Amino acid sequence: MKKTYMTGIAVTLAAAIIAGIAGMNFYAKRHFVEDIKTGPNVTEVFKLSRYNENLAGTIADTDVYVLKGEKEGGSLLLLGGTHPSEPAGHMAAIVFEENVKVEQGTVYVIPNINNSAFTHNDPLDGSPQYMHFTTKNGETRTFHYGSRATNPIDQWPDPDIYTHTSGQTLSGSETRNLNRCYPGVKDGTISEQVGYAVTNMINTLEIDMEIDMHESSPEYAVNNATVAHERAMTIASEGVLDLQLEGIKMSLEPSPVSLHGLTHRELGDFTKTYALLMEVGNPVQGRLRGYTDEKLCLTGEDPCYVIAYDLNLLYVDYSTGNFPMELRVGRHLAGVNAYINAFNNNSDKQIVVSGIPPYNEIVNGNLGDYLL
Amino acid sequence: MKKLLTFALAAAMTLSLASCGGDSKTPVGSNNNNTPASTSGSQTGGDVSGLPEIEAGSCTTPAILTSIGQSADVEIVGTLCSKAGIEVTLDNAITAEDLPADCKTLILAVGGSSKGLGAAGIDADGELARTDALLKKAADQGVTIVAMHTGGSARRGTLSDSFITPSFAAANIAIVVSEGDSDGMMAGILAGNSTPSAYVEQVADCIATLKTLFGVA
Repeated sequence: MKKTYMTGIAVTLAAAIIAGIAGMNFYAKRHFVEDIKTGPNVTEVFKLSRYNENLAGTIADTDVYVLKGEKEGGSLLLLGGTHPSEPAGHMAAIVFEENVKVEQGTVYVIPNINNSAFTHNDPLDGSPQYMHFTTKNGETRTFHYGSRATNPIDQWPDPDIYTHTSGQTLSGSETRNLNRCYPGVKDGTISEQVGYAVTNMINTLEIDMEIDMHESSPEYAVNNATVAHERAMTIASEGVLDLQLEGIKMSLEPSPVSLHGLTHRELGDFTKTYALLMEVGNPVQGRLRGYTDEKLCLTGEDPCYVIAYDLNLLYVDYSTGNFPMELRVGRHLAGVNAYINAFNNNSDKQIVVSGIPPYNEIVNGNLGDYLL
Repeated sequence: MKKLLTFALAAAMTLSLASCGGDSKTPVGSNNNNTPASTSGSQTGGDVSGLPEIEAGSCTTPAILTSIGQSADVEIVGTLCSKAGIEVTLDNAITAEDLPADCKTLILAVGGSSKGLGAAGIDADGELARTDALLKKAADQGVTIVAMHTGGSARRGTLSDSFITPSFAAANIAIVVSEGDSDGMMAGILAGNSTPSAYVEQVADCIATLKTLFGVA
């Protein structure tokens, strides 16, 4: 009997030690403060709770970087980090905010729109917790690699079925997917509160165009693509043509009218903004990937995807054997530039920016070179 | 056995702690069931050397632009026409009954999108039925049918190919971005009918081809 007690105590202690190590790891991730610097041309930084006071003091009360030009003009909202497991959008927003100067009009940049989802990751998928980049100065800057969904610490439990405000029903875990929560609910779940704040911000500031930057698995059909609300189709099609002239393949997809909760649907329906969403391939998200770590996230080097490409199973070009962060961020920034130009061609208002890193430079360089 | 069971239970408890961040992976914006492209990244078109060249000024307005497959490529083609200075009436879902009697040219933006079909409230079979009736009516009216495939390899696969076949078989003229026909499927249909065709390298090259077709300076 004594031996049984001793074994039980030993096993319990071992479990407690392992849980303690995991808990410390989770705690560090939860409280890690990202190294986002305010760019020299940022004119204001405010909290998203300005547009939903219920967010004040919560983990979801994220920073909004404002780049206002000297001349009045059009306005643009860039969303990064809707899904923090899709880091190119997050990094593209940061590179934009830290490098770009707005000459005319105003650009609002939110790199961490679902900030809660940055505070955890998907450990059972083997996804990394952090990404590291070395700047020109030799400094190492560290950023979150997060989860697709809001941290359950902030929003729990999930219902069995998530019923969107439209009446659409989805699986319960989608209640923590910010891109199923628009146009949002002022006093709803924390994800819905964020969605409401964005919608309210666009309506209040009369923001002309919104671009939500995502990634998707290489085997997913909507890849290297822009999804556009029907009112934004003219701008989107012009932008896609410009990108193709630059040699950047981009397909155009309509926003489904019956799929609710997404930025390209609800921000188009509930505001006057031109709502766009961009997708680029991310091997860490894919189910055909091999060993998963930070290197895969940063380089996309994966022999499994090379095989899948040879078998014609992918929607992205994996012929080079990699799909690096520089390519993915470069595509997003080139897309933003193209859609700004297309907006200018179709509007009396103008948005004039300088300092967006050129596509060929960023693809052939290091992302860290574009971080302060 | 008890030891093993105890250890397994403890391990399960520990691992369950690590699963608190896990969640399902619903694809972003998912309702697209397109099959993978039949080609990836290839820039090689099929054998198009024997196809008749298009003739300048062979198309006139009034012109209707419609989608066959409800992909957003119809917006791209609309923009191409606009940049070429050609006035077209865009009607994504025009039916045979709605085809105007004075229509001279029917431009087809060919490519399937399940997102687009869903948005239009029509399924693939319904879209094919609309296509067949529309093309028959256009042929009966003597309308010049221009089939355009601008979406490249991303706009190939089972769904898109089902729309390509009837559209290119009925076309009087075809414009194709080469990268989307690396298997020569469209070239084969066009060669069988000796359809005047233009294969271009980039989507933007369609502008010059459209100008030629409509005799725009």
